[in-house]
Amino acid sequence: MRRLLLISGLLLSSLAFASDHNNIEAGRPLRFDDAYSIAFRERAFEFGLSLDTFRRRGPTYGNKTEFKYGLAKNQDISVAFEPTYSSSERRGDIGNVEIGYFNGLRREIDNSPALAYRVDVGLPTGRGAKGLDLRFRGIATKALGQYDKVHLNLDLNMNTNPGPGERRHTVGAVLGYSKPLGYPRRFDQTLVADFAIQQSKNEGDGFVGSVGLGLRRQVSPRAVFDIGITSDIFSTKGAERSPVRFAIGYSVSF
Amino acid sequence: MKAITLLGITAIASLGLAQDHSGHQMAGMKKQTELPAMPRDMPAWLAAPGADHLFYKAAPYNWAINRIPKFAKDMYATGVGHAMAYEALVRGEASTLETKTFDTINWVLKNQPAMPVDEGAISPTFLRKYGYLEKVFDWAHTLHFQTIDVFAHPGWTDEQKEKEIERLWAFYEAQPYAITGLPMNMDYLDSFSYSMKFRTDYPKVNGLFWGYHWLQTVNYDMLYRVPVKDQAPQYEVLGARYHETELYKTDRDFMPMTAEMSPRFAKRFPQIANAFDNLHMLHDNVNDILAQPQLTEAQKQEQVKIAIYRVLATTHISETPGESEGKENSLHDHRHPPSMPGMGWMKGSEDDIMWMSGMGWMDMSACSHCSIPMPEGNPWGATVSAEGWTMMVRCLMCARDMAGETPGRAIIRAATNDPNRLLVLISDEEGNWTSNIDGIVFLEKYGEHPECSGWSRAFTTLAALEKYVSENPEYKDTKPLNLAEWAALNHGTPDTYRKIDKPNPYKPGPPPAKGGGR
Repeated sequence: MRRLLLISGLLLSSLAFASDHNNIEAGRPLRFDDAYSIAFRERAFEFGLSLDTFRRRGPTYGNKTEFKYGLAKNQDISVAFEPTYSSSERRGDIGNVEIGYFNGLRREIDNSPALAYRVDVGLPTGRGAKGLDLRFRGIATKALGQYDKVHLNLDLNMNTNPGPGERRHTVGAVLGYSKPLGYPRRFDQTLVADFAIQQSKNEGDGFVGSVGLGLRRQVSPRAVFDIGITSDIFSTKGAERSPVRFAIGYSVSF
Repeated sequence: MKAITLLGITAIASLGLAQDHSGHQMAGMKKQTELPAMPRDMPAWLAAPGADHLFYKAAPYNWAINRIPKFAKDMYATGVGHAMAYEALVRGEASTLETKTFDTINWVLKNQPAMPVDEGAISPTFLRKYGYLEKVFDWAHTLHFQTIDVFAHPGWTDEQKEKEIERLWAFYEAQPYAITGLPMNMDYLDSFSYSMKFRTDYPKVNGLFWGYHWLQTVNYDMLYRVPVKDQAPQYEVLGARYHETELYKTDRDFMPMTAEMSPRFAKRFPQIANAFDNLHMLHDNVNDILAQPQLTEAQKQEQVKIAIYRVLATTHISETPGESEGKENSLHDHRHPPSMPGMGWMKGSEDDIMWMSGMGWMDMSACSHCSIPMPEGNPWGATVSAEGWTMMVRCLMCARDMAGETPGRAIIRAATNDPNRLLVLISDEEGNWTSNIDGIVFLEKYGEHPECSGWSRAFTTLAALEKYVSENPEYKDTKPLNLAEWAALNHGTPDTYRKIDKPNPYKPGPPPAKGGGR
């Protein structure tokens, strides 16, 4: 055990530092991405804990770990694991392994937004999972005023082998907002907020609309702490809602 | 010894020749009247739409700057100034630069962030218009920080650090945004129709910029080959000087040059010193372009791209330092003072003789105190940092006596008998010295100045001094001195000292009464 603690201590201390609080990524802590990849040759670990509450069942706990690598200029790749534990089912799920690719097409130039896209492939490693979960996300980031920014994410999701009663294709959209807090006197934190609408996977269910609010804070030259809360505020055709979802995370670059 | 004496005579003769020029008008470049035209071979990346963020070289020394917390915070704060000023300029708020923007920058410089600042996030409007320029700045700033980190890293020897600095330079140079490490003609780079606009119209903000260029360059001699434990104490002196004086100077003739502030580092890594100076000159060019109200937005965009082009490494491929034949006072003039390869060609320079702001005309090949040529090879003598300048001297006596002539605190960095142990002496306001080496002993047998690097030396141990004396019996009757005994000596200004008496090439009027041109 001591050795394990020592190894984890060494790992953390050697990583303990460049993720950038201004560079916003899905899950940390809300659902939207900005249109910028991590830097070329950057390596980053992102750790997150989440708690999803539901009206009709007990909460679900999630623990997401993602590794990213700046493959080339404006491009990164990632691999993520997100085991979960369902309190109502009293069992855990190793979850799908997600492999992602992000490509920043252009930065914001004059009045034209920054544009990017990302593709994620979920491998069916989770309990009862079948087929591949594919997601294509188009991303635009544009200034709003001087320092504030809006981010539009449009998602097309597909499962290659949907289960009975499940949709093969779903769509979603997130409108994100970010605002550095404290300028011009401090430069280490960004407020984030979003409004998302996501089509349910279940045929017959409609859309879920949600809002989120969070904060990303630089805690060292290489590390960012994030915290966020999301609430599903409406659903159509009986789609399941999560009244509150908490997320807390820590990202380090090295 | 004969050789040293001969060198001394030669130096005095050459200084005499230099003095013959007094009264002559030093030829500086005339300001150009036409805007520079867009070159045909502009690199394609300037039009590339990507953000192209680059990560620094992964290494164990990254962020070692935080081992000197006050210095690290001051360096982080420097990221704010240009970003805020550029943002104000592109948002049409130039009229606030000397008031509101100055106050805001100054507040940050006094209340520094604890972590590095994302300059692009502070200047989003500027970034949308001049994103290609940010790539050049960011990459050069990365080199700045990483070289500092290497020197501040406690785990490596000086030799390992020097090799890593060379690797960092290769890592930096591999990107198309890299600024050339060749010396450039600073007079030429400051001769365009828009040149000097910013420093003339916005002297307070320009003072801040040049103040932190002072900080960004003075630190290298504070760190280079200095044991990590002896770095932070020097910053107590330099940091105080930075906050009290250097940030608020509005009377500099020109931006601080790396070789003026850190001559030891600039001699060892001339390509990096030159790249930093070329970077700082690019900053000045951009300031001037953005501050020029007569230029249209399109003209500003074009001129900023041309300014970038001028200093890119890719613009000067296959060119060599020192080369200028037929290209004097042009973009491809890479002359440098013969004894200082890490310094571009300055206004009015003649070989090693150049004008240093606040000091007057200095000969970079000679001791700043006794005017005798610097000895070749190691030990290289010492440097003295005081009143914002850093000067090279031949020996410890010259260092002490020069520091003694200067008010305020001073730092001496001197060679010892051990090439791996640099002596760092720091004085308080009263001239009381402290040493980083316990038991340091000095040899000083006052004699002819051309031989001072032989009879004025420091030794890490008494045994080392005795060994030196046994090899040099002319010192056998000389009493070893401890720090207090040595510090109590003072031989004043040596009779070999020669003032170079010529007018300031930047401004009319007499040269300064003190300093090298005293």
